[in-house]
Amino acid sequence: MTASARILDHFSKANGSEPIRILGASGQLGYGVPTPAFSAGLERKPHLIGCDMGSIDIGPYYLGSGELATALAATRRDLRKVLLGALKLKIPLIIGSAGSAGAKPHLEQTLAIIREIAREEGLGFRMGVLLDATEVDAAANIVGQMGMSAFQRALAAGVDVVVAGRACDTAIFAALPAVAGFPIGPAQHMAKIIECASLCCVPGGRDSILATLDQEGFELESMAPQRRATPVSVAAHSLCEQSDPFTVQEPEGRLDLSRATYHALDDRRTRVVGAVWEEAREPWVKIEGARHVGERAILLCGTADPRFIARHEQLLQEVESVVRDLVCEDAAEDYVLTWRVYGVNGVRMTPVTQNTPLGEAFILGECIAPTRPRAAEVVRTTKQYLLHHGYEGRLSTAGNLAFPFTPPEVSVGPAYRFNVYHLMRASDLDALFPLEIETV
Amino acid sequence: MQLQDLAQVVRSKNAGPRRFTLDVIFRSDADYQRATQSEALIAEKIAPLYGVAVDAVTVINYPLGRAIKIVVPRQIMSGDPGDRDVYGAQQHTPLLRLEI
Repeated sequence: MTASARILDHFSKANGSEPIRILGASGQLGYGVPTPAFSAGLERKPHLIGCDMGSIDIGPYYLGSGELATALAATRRDLRKVLLGALKLKIPLIIGSAGSAGAKPHLEQTLAIIREIAREEGLGFRMGVLLDATEVDAAANIVGQMGMSAFQRALAAGVDVVVAGRACDTAIFAALPAVAGFPIGPAQHMAKIIECASLCCVPGGRDSILATLDQEGFELESMAPQRRATPVSVAAHSLCEQSDPFTVQEPEGRLDLSRATYHALDDRRTRVVGAVWEEAREPWVKIEGARHVGERAILLCGTADPRFIARHEQLLQEVESVVRDLVCEDAAEDYVLTWRVYGVNGVRMTPVTQNTPLGEAFILGECIAPTRPRAAEVVRTTKQYLLHHGYEGRLSTAGNLAFPFTPPEVSVGPAYRFNVYHLMRASDLDALFPLEIETV
Repeated sequence: MQLQDLAQVVRSKNAGPRRFTLDVIFRSDADYQRATQSEALIAEKIAPLYGVAVDAVTVINYPLGRAIKIVVPRQIMSGDPGDRDVYGAQQHTPLLRLEI
């Protein structure tokens, strides 16, 4: 009997009389799952281990390139830990947004690691793989965020492990309770909180968290003893990376938190009730895509010269113009050169008036060009002319810049941008996110 | 008093690649009330700090979390060439010196 069949059978017999325990193992699998809290979570006999593996926060590079954001060794260690934990307890393991961005190459790399672990450990299990059939574009990786209905299908098919492409982080945790007959409002609200592991606690952290869901609401308890889930810390978590603390939009509906209440069970545990689920008349899916925009090379240098710093804006423009004349003698102006001057405007998106003169500034030059050699040519030429650029009142005639090391020009590889980020009406979610079953 | 001396948390983060959200969280209900009543954290005051139109800014008071949430559109999409803060985690500083 598969893990999902066993758990669903158990809750079918319990007929609403027993709460379900969900272990939120990690807010982003592949950055390390602290073992003490995870082991403490396993001792509480959870009915599901859920792990979110991805996010759009990391920018367009990973989605565009197909690379994992996490290190291979750390990813393998985390996957081994959660896989062994779930199989030992004979409970389902659900992993969403496989391989950071959840596109086909990310999913394939994640599955390959899982198969490798299974071979090494002599494990056998039934794995549901949720794919993404969102429009395929040769110039870009495009993914749609699947909701809980995709995971519900996988669990109903009888599996031990579910690995999904890009998915709503909530769906990973809400699907099993939904299939097992728990109310969707509290299940989704619980999911929204535990997908970040113990981040909803004070002090917040990455340790595993246990949620216990019943027919009315749920209780939260971090598996790290120093982390306390308090009513205010849990309520405040609804702000996290959300544009509206009262509403969470999901493909299959909308979660209304305006009447949710939070109260302390003791100084480490909080109980939450009152979330209401409103099913959507027509589901929608959030689509994300990233497109290659060129090759990136950068220049890293600093200055401590007060005269150079005072006039840096004009000097950078002058050098840009000299470089343009040189590198475009026999080629089109096919690149973009961008400056970020740290100490002045490297971080803030809105201009700030500087009150005191700067002691030092760090200059990051960035070129995006059609090819790697072209980007390198632009930053190398820029480096040399910026170093030796003469100006009125210059005292340091041997060089304007300090290089922390050489080469200070670095080719950093392909550059991407999000070219798709919108909502798509989807009448047939099952067709959009097909399920494949694999016996490992 | 400046916001940085009253608030427990002043943070920013992307809410999707097109917007960032600023969360201001207070230690006590009294501090929260003081901030909401001062009208320092309203769209008309926030918009010029971020160089955006007043009606593009959303301010949501969230008493359960003793928090004020502000949503501001990003002038450049996260990770686009020329972006300065892909995660949007360092765009909170214009709020720090607001007089409450």
